[in-house]
Amino acid sequence: MEDVLTENPPPSRFFQEDLNNFVPPPESIPSPFILFSNPKPELPLRPSLLIIAISSPSLYVSHNLPSKTLLGSLIMPEVPFSGNTIEPSLEDKSCNIYSLSSTDDKNSILLVSVQLPVSPERSNLVSRLLIGQDIIPERVIILDSIQSRNFRGRLSPDETLAAKLETSAEKKATSHLVNLDYFPSGSVIDGLSASLLSRCQLKNIRGTLVISWPEFGPSVIKFIGALLKKIVPSLDVASVNKDLEKNSSRTGLKKDTWLDSDLYT
Amino acid sequence: MEFVVEEGKLVNEDCSTLVLPALSIGNVGQLAVDLLVSSTGAERVGYLDDPNLLPCVGNDAYGPLPCGEIALPLEVYESSSIATTLAQQRSPVAKGMMIKFAENIANFAASSGKKHIIVLSSLDFQRLHNLDMSRGPQVYYLSNAESDGRDDHCERLGFGRLHEYDSEGRCWKYLSSVFEKNSVEELALPSEDELEDIDYYPSLPFAALFSAFKARGLKMTCLLCYCSEGDNIPEAFLLAEASSKLMGLTPDKFHGEGGKWQIPYSWKSMYGAPPDMSMF
Repeated sequence: MEDVLTENPPPSRFFQEDLNNFVPPPESIPSPFILFSNPKPELPLRPSLLIIAISSPSLYVSHNLPSKTLLGSLIMPEVPFSGNTIEPSLEDKSCNIYSLSSTDDKNSILLVSVQLPVSPERSNLVSRLLIGQDIIPERVIILDSIQSRNFRGRLSPDETLAAKLETSAEKKATSHLVNLDYFPSGSVIDGLSASLLSRCQLKNIRGTLVISWPEFGPSVIKFIGALLKKIVPSLDVASVNKDLEKNSSRTGLKKDTWLDSDLYT
Repeated sequence: MEFVVEEGKLVNEDCSTLVLPALSIGNVGQLAVDLLVSSTGAERVGYLDDPNLLPCVGNDAYGPLPCGEIALPLEVYESSSIATTLAQQRSPVAKGMMIKFAENIANFAASSGKKHIIVLSSLDFQRLHNLDMSRGPQVYYLSNAESDGRDDHCERLGFGRLHEYDSEGRCWKYLSSVFEKNSVEELALPSEDELEDIDYYPSLPFAALFSAFKARGLKMTCLLCYCSEGDNIPEAFLLAEASSKLMGLTPDKFHGEGGKWQIPYSWKSMYGAPPDMSMF
């Protein structure tokens, strides 16, 4: 049980330093960048669909999708590579960009697996890299988890939930990629997924943010797999449902990973 | 900071007054702007994209039903009937970047032809030294009409001048020097150890906004009230009513049912879900 004295305040409450003009600006860190594989693809990439996996269940599904081609990686200078493996692994701190397309329709469906911690302060830079510069998608799907700290309702640990938020361009389209209820008014989503959806709205791109609950577990993994299969019928999700029992515990759960210590890899 | 006009919308250049919140205890400024947007029927015309603002998205905050209209961190609304632009901020500024943010938003206001800026903010009740409850809840103000912060119009409306404002105080002078490009005097940022009680006021976001807009030569009024953390809806009404009075408006001039204040839909869940009664 969290300590009521030391746990983070509810999100509408500020720490003194959040409201202080005289707190010095943070030290400047080099900007993130994308490193593309050889041969470098022709830029900008213009996929018809960009899928961005952020939540643990969506990363699990992404990792187990066969037939994906690694196109490149988004590098954040502040995130060390130590502990990463040569072959992509779920435990890596990486942000890989894959093509899911068949050979005759190259790079029309891209998948980004965001396995590294992106702080809210750096989200703007990352979202600009993924949408609108070297990658200009027609449609975007972002997969994240409902953040219990920002949710103004009740969340049961054994009930699978999902909702969506979408850009105006997606909302007024005649057909929608995702058929879910809207995220309730009064609750918010923050962090990288919020920054990505905002970027889509500002660029008038058809974007959908799917937020699911719980943050891990077989039921939500199956839900995400089924959702992606519906959006991209050619996707092979059969291997996703194997060995799901490994994900019934909190192992591999991404939780406030920008607070992780660099002492241990 | 980039102003992105919403698809299909036009900006009304006759909206010469800008009302916006400053982040403050109890989110009172933001609640007051919510109330003004909801009650005036102001229409969203665009977004302000600033790299110093932390990201957030949500569902529409105002409609009677959660219709799925996306809400972004800093949105611009216009009410042509009262010639006013309202900016609503939903997420914090990155730590240490408030001065940069204030400069950016002042540049936006100046370049879009705004003449009068009204900033709504609250102050920590624990900082109030002279408690006088005989007149009921008090609205305070700070204006750049005169060098001591005084404004005749605000005095006639019964607002109390913020006596703690001292344009010669080192933190206020520091803020002025930061925003005035032609400032000759280079002042050092006060360190945390040097700050005293009187430095509380210039340390707050409203002070950065005040100094930034003042440096751009715009008419500037901050409306303030003291409060504690808790149910801050009464304070939101206090500031919303005060800003309406300042603009010479009353709710019957707003768009809406019977000219009354309209509670935003999102306020229904402001304090979270109701308690789980099944445990009793």
